[in-house]
Amino acid sequence: MDAYTIGVLTNIGLFSFVALSAYLLLVAGELSFGQQAFFGVGAYAGGIFTAMYGWPLPLAALAAMTLGALAQFLVGLPTLRLRGLYFAMSTLAAAEMARILFELLHFQREVKGELTGPDGTQGFRGIRWIFEHGIEPIDYLGMVVGLLAVVLAGFFLVERSRLGATLRGVGQDPELAASLGIDIQRVKLGVAAAAGALAALGGVLYAHHNTYIEPRNFDIMLGVHSLAYALIGGLGTAFGPLLGVVLDIGALEGSRVFHDYRMIVFGGLVALLLVFRPRGLLDERMVRWLRARLP
Amino acid sequence: MLADLIQNTLDGLSIGAAYALLALGFTLIFGVLRRANLSYGAAIMFGCYCATWTHLNFGAGLLLLAAITVAGTVLAGAYVERLCFAPHRGGSMIAAMVASFALWMQFEELVTLVMPTHLYAFPALYEGAPLAFGPYTLRVDALVMFGAAIAACALLWGTLYRTRFGLAVRAVTEQPAAASLAGINLPWVYVRVFALASAIGGVAGYLVVASHGQITPMLGMWSTLKGLLAMMLGGLGSLPGAVVGGLALGLLEAHSQWFLGPQLRDLIAYLLLFVLLAARVPWMHTRSAS
Amino acid sequence: MSLLKIQDVVTAYGKIEALKGVSLEVAPGSITCLLGPNGAGKTTLMMTVAGILKPRKGGISFAGEEIAGRAPHDIVARGVALVPENRLVFPAMTVLENLLAGAYQRGDKKAVAEDIDRMYARFPRLRERSAQHAGTLSGGEQQMLAVARALMSRPRLLLMDEPSLGLAPLVVEEIFRIIAELHRDGVSIFFVEQNAHMALKVAQHFFLIEQGRISFSGTPGALAEDEVIRRAYLGSAQQ
Repeated sequence: MDAYTIGVLTNIGLFSFVALSAYLLLVAGELSFGQQAFFGVGAYAGGIFTAMYGWPLPLAALAAMTLGALAQFLVGLPTLRLRGLYFAMSTLAAAEMARILFELLHFQREVKGELTGPDGTQGFRGIRWIFEHGIEPIDYLGMVVGLLAVVLAGFFLVERSRLGATLRGVGQDPELAASLGIDIQRVKLGVAAAAGALAALGGVLYAHHNTYIEPRNFDIMLGVHSLAYALIGGLGTAFGPLLGVVLDIGALEGSRVFHDYRMIVFGGLVALLLVFRPRGLLDERMVRWLRARLP
Repeated sequence: MLADLIQNTLDGLSIGAAYALLALGFTLIFGVLRRANLSYGAAIMFGCYCATWTHLNFGAGLLLLAAITVAGTVLAGAYVERLCFAPHRGGSMIAAMVASFALWMQFEELVTLVMPTHLYAFPALYEGAPLAFGPYTLRVDALVMFGAAIAACALLWGTLYRTRFGLAVRAVTEQPAAASLAGINLPWVYVRVFALASAIGGVAGYLVVASHGQITPMLGMWSTLKGLLAMMLGGLGSLPGAVVGGLALGLLEAHSQWFLGPQLRDLIAYLLLFVLLAARVPWMHTRSAS
Repeated sequence: MSLLKIQDVVTAYGKIEALKGVSLEVAPGSITCLLGPNGAGKTTLMMTVAGILKPRKGGISFAGEEIAGRAPHDIVARGVALVPENRLVFPAMTVLENLLAGAYQRGDKKAVAEDIDRMYARFPRLRERSAQHAGTLSGGEQQMLAVARALMSRPRLLLMDEPSLGLAPLVVEEIFRIIAELHRDGVSIFFVEQNAHMALKVAQHFFLIEQGRISFSGTPGALAEDEVIRRAYLGSAQQ
């Protein structure tokens, strides 16, 4: 594989995490415009732990995921009782606050004779753990894909369990779920924490892939892209968001014909697709239909 | 100190008037469709770029540019309505919102393809010296913006409360099923409200761009975020609330920018929105948005 | 010829059929009542005739014209108006504006103004509250307003979905007095009612709907003689 293909595939993997986090919330009935914030929290935290304090990447990733989970849990605590657009706006407000806080964050220290760390709008340079440890791009791609496979396996286990049914129940008919004795607020907080951790994991991997991050990487465009990925791919299965990312980054960025018109083509495709399939390509019905026909 | 406060208040009211217009456009659409149109700002940006392009290639007077801005915005709005909202009537709110976001990306790429420079000059509303009243100065363009915004609000008011069309819009906003039982053609109202809201957005966009004397593609995101913020602050779905929310946001920004700088200005606006949402203040929950 | 003719109408919410092939006819100049238990499909039938819901199968003709599947505003234009369940007045609009909205399709300003005067004469409380927001009216007044709003379109057939729901007995009597009056003025009326005793006093024909199907059709006399219906709908009050 050439470097370009590896780069595109790695990006597909990275953004799948944040798309999955938006998907998870959508399944539980919540629309978030703010997953980029937790992606950013993961990116900054992971970068700080490895580049500034010399932690190994796996440990930094775990810590960043914990922070991402905690952050979304705390943001969700006062807002998850809000409905529809109110909740969506609260996530947008939280995410824009996070982005501005990244802009205000000046926290640097000297490491090996070089000043490193977040420097406000100048960004955060030198997150070089994977290069310092001699990990080749193809191996990093392997790591990303491996982690994605683990996360997907987790999703499929949950989908088939009672917990999965509970999540869809809470998302599709909260009144009914509540009447069955399900504590909706608790379920949603759990979902929020999981979504925060997922987005943060994507962020850690993103920061170490790019070696450089800046606050505007985490603006609303990323958040709504994640939502679009989750929706167009389909709300019926965790493969849906992946399909969404592949469609956008893979097919369109990968094929150089469309490169200049990527947004025009992708945007039009999304809008048209949603006319015919408002819950995405792989929606619940399509998934049932496929399950009945596949072994 | 007092002079600064008064000056900031004047500045805040003038930008607040533009926010109020943006919020009114959002609110009109939200009121009848119960959906947020995320590409509202992008359509405005498209309209403003149409005017910029005309200005660069042919040159045109202020009024003609304003008319082109409004026409371009309405055209873009019509495209959004057909592709994102007409197909999802009574259907998925999320699908309509995500589709409108997708078109936002289209508009943004389209204008950067046709006009690749990041920043273009736009003919300013007024280029003379600001008016001075003792210690206070009043920028004439800010004054024009305030006046035009107030006039647009008044015109909208007249339309909504004194015309047959306005009666239909309010009826659909309050009780869509009863409105159709009263003989009001809902799709007809939806399409016209979209056009009206786009025209208001075009006016707001023109005033903002002409008062800054320049335009960048960021105008799209800026208009969407400011309009949403002002609409939510004033209470989702309430027209008087949209005006109050816009002016309040303008004042809040002007004062916090003076005391704390531009980054904290934006932070405070979002913090306020977040806190008000979390506290579920009663005026923000006048209409069901679920 | 019948004014309203409903034939084998099926209306469904998703996979659940609320109407499973309903057929009935309403004669011109009559008062017809539709009885039935909760969830039998009464409101669904009214909404289907008014065009808010689209029937999946079957035909609905009004004065000889097919109206099934047409848009509600189109059906209003042909002379059918529905007073919906729970009235659904426009709460933040004034009483006068509510009436004007009811006349939305009419271009004849002068005649509309005369009709508003006529409504005020029929419902004096509405005249008193003309400039008040409809949301501030009492339940009975809102029901009067909903009826008046529907009449503003000058319908030939007035549909009413449970006009007495949640109203005090005196107000219910008033509503039924108005139904009789409207009938004398030449409006045909087809209404849904739970209160069979009141309905018996005014209606000339009854239909009973159960589980999405018409299970009885007949005169008030036949209705009162049917042992099963009497027990279900009239029983408690006679004991």
